[in-house]
Amino acid sequence: MAENFDKRILNNGMVILGERMEGVESAAFGFMLPTGAALLPEGSCGAANVIADWIFRGAGDKNSRELSDALDGLGLHRASSVSSSHIGIGAALEASNLAQALNLYADVILRPNLQENQFKSARQLAIEGIQALDDDPRQKVMLKLREQFYPAPLGRSTVGEVAELKSLMSEQARQILHDNFSLSETIFAVAGKYDFESVCGQIKNLFAAELRKPLKPITLRPQTDDYTHIHNDGAQVHIGLMTETVKLSDENYYNDRVAISVLSGGMSARLFTEVREKRGLCYAIGARYHCLKDAAGIMCYAGTAPEKAQETLDVIIGEFYRLSEGISKEEIDRAKVGLKSSLILQSESSSSRAGAIGSDYYMLGRVRSLDEIKQGIEQTSVDSVLTFLRDNEFKSFTVVTIGPKQVTVE
Amino acid sequence: MEFKEKTLANGLTIVGEVNPAAKSAAVGFFVKTGSRDETEQINGVSHFLEHMLFKGTDRLGALQVNEAFDRTGAEFNAGTSWETTIYHAAVLPEYLLEVTKLWIGLMRPALRDEDFTIEKEVIKQEIAMYKDMPSFDVVDRCRKLHFGTHPCGNSVLGSEQSIDTLKSEQMRDYFARRYAPNNMVLGCAGNFDWGEFCSVAEGLCGCWQKQAADRKLDDGRGSKSKERLEKPNLNCEHICIMSWSVSAQDPRRFAAYLLSNIIGDSAGSRFYWELVDSALAETASMQFGPMDGTGVFCSYILCSRENVDKVIDIVKNIFNSVSNDGITEAELTKAKNKTLSALVIENELSHGRLIRLGANWLYLQQYRSIEQDVNAIRAVTTDDVNTLASRFNLGDFTQFSIGPAPSG
Repeated sequence: MAENFDKRILNNGMVILGERMEGVESAAFGFMLPTGAALLPEGSCGAANVIADWIFRGAGDKNSRELSDALDGLGLHRASSVSSSHIGIGAALEASNLAQALNLYADVILRPNLQENQFKSARQLAIEGIQALDDDPRQKVMLKLREQFYPAPLGRSTVGEVAELKSLMSEQARQILHDNFSLSETIFAVAGKYDFESVCGQIKNLFAAELRKPLKPITLRPQTDDYTHIHNDGAQVHIGLMTETVKLSDENYYNDRVAISVLSGGMSARLFTEVREKRGLCYAIGARYHCLKDAAGIMCYAGTAPEKAQETLDVIIGEFYRLSEGISKEEIDRAKVGLKSSLILQSESSSSRAGAIGSDYYMLGRVRSLDEIKQGIEQTSVDSVLTFLRDNEFKSFTVVTIGPKQVTVE
Repeated sequence: MEFKEKTLANGLTIVGEVNPAAKSAAVGFFVKTGSRDETEQINGVSHFLEHMLFKGTDRLGALQVNEAFDRTGAEFNAGTSWETTIYHAAVLPEYLLEVTKLWIGLMRPALRDEDFTIEKEVIKQEIAMYKDMPSFDVVDRCRKLHFGTHPCGNSVLGSEQSIDTLKSEQMRDYFARRYAPNNMVLGCAGNFDWGEFCSVAEGLCGCWQKQAADRKLDDGRGSKSKERLEKPNLNCEHICIMSWSVSAQDPRRFAAYLLSNIIGDSAGSRFYWELVDSALAETASMQFGPMDGTGVFCSYILCSRENVDKVIDIVKNIFNSVSNDGITEAELTKAKNKTLSALVIENELSHGRLIRLGANWLYLQQYRSIEQDVNAIRAVTTDDVNTLASRFNLGDFTQFSIGPAPSG
């Protein structure tokens, strides 16, 4: 582990990670609670969103408004998210307010009030959120795509299902919270300006008394369909496409990332050049790496006019296949510079570093230093990337479209 | 942090904020032109032109431009608004001069007909994309309704029709008038050598010709009209509410920021407690939009069709109560804390500092340190906010809604 990383594991298994950054006055922190969409019991899709809201509606000796005022009083920029694996709650703030913020977050995690009337509002808000998604086809298509691509329940909607939320009762939500807020599986990450000894001391005082609780294992089911179309009389056809690739822990991970960058890293990458620059088919077009702990994919989005949707899809799939036919040294070099530079640019932000070290630890059981990642990128070459692509041919594509017209998927 | 400034004989201003401790540097051109500087016939040309700059120069084709950027690993982009067009890139320090030269080259584009024709298709796709984003579409339409014939109501993207009929000669003419050195600012923030940066800029931009580039600066009080558009494919009601506010140059702008935070921040605001907390609305936010010589308060609300009347009543009550009873000391303190910490966090990145640096020069011809803004925010009193709220009555608003057909 590099010089500026800190790590400690409490007796109950809770992991504390830190990355010290020079020249910043802020700190960012996050708790990764093992209550993601994939870990929820059947029939309660969306419960994680309700819980992530509910626990902030009063905790410890504070009611909802007092808690919110206390957080705002510290100038906190709150971030809350639900992924396949976790509920993530955290914030960025001026470093001097960190200790006070952690006290409040301990209340939120360990002593939420969980009042009945607040449950109803949190659930209703989650339902409204799903209904609003119908008016945002671009986001909806990517959610549906993940649902269809990953073996269930890994891709389960992180937003939720209206029918399941409508029947969700507060008792069930309490039970989920009780079963899943397991500190032995919780990762706490902080980055920016902080004192690790005092952070560790405080986290230990706040959280160490809670005991280990094993999580129920999940069983994976095979994927379902290859193509789904959702009709919507909008202006565009929104295309989401995904294909299987290697995980973060794979030895070919960096070859994979460089290959995806050749496909869709910068504006000179192949998808942008072929789909937008040469053919004018789309405004928005791009592919990126998407990884869960147990599966990974290359995820692609394009939005285009109905009469151009088929051509757009065909050109995109053609570009995936064309990758293994040959890549120039210049393309590889640009991909490598782009990946390295974005890594360093992001390293200046405390929020993105706190997120990155937490996610590394969850996926790999350790944190990669920036140097290790740089080296991993550096070691790739035209040959290594092409060998990887030829040994790992793209087999099938999962496609979801939303819009006035369907496409044909070969 | 050291501020630097130099103005060339042709009027191009170069500003820099040097921070040797940064790991990166960000460079950008800030052009004082946008949709408010367009006529109806050429609506959308500023944004279309922003796309066309990436198509290259007499010496560089579009693909070469993209490759040149990607060779530096730059995180780069451009954006057009009602009154500015901004081109920016963040890079590692060793690539700064290379990317600066590239931007300078692009500021004198070839504007080839064949690129114009193909990019027209991309622009039309972008217009279609935003049509499928009602949260964006409703604000664009509300702005038009609010400003009426005032040019600040012009759509940034233009319409499919205005883009279809736009000719490349019209774009070249617009470019010649608006991209004059005296109408733009070159800025750089982060870890870089000011002397070297300036000499590159001076050597390459010194020959650009000065032009008269004016802008009409009428204040816009707003129409206060109400309209609704029905879209059968939608599920929810999207509401935009807009009213008159102070300009980007007005010293009261800090009070205006805080007022919009008190009413419409995503957490802990009046909108939050009265609309979102109880799930009457999925989203309810308010922002202060300062502009050149005028400004707006703009709220966006997303709710179900059946809650619309209730939601609008509550919004009106909130506006009335702010005008009549004012805000509390506690509300102001919270808003200050949130605003100040956002300011600090956003300015830890070279990119954030560049945008501030360039925008301040464009609007105020002034360098403002973070400390100056921090102090200005700290100095705002409840009286300042209450006086502003009674002068700019929030209840006198324009409203545009987009939503589904009434059910049943």
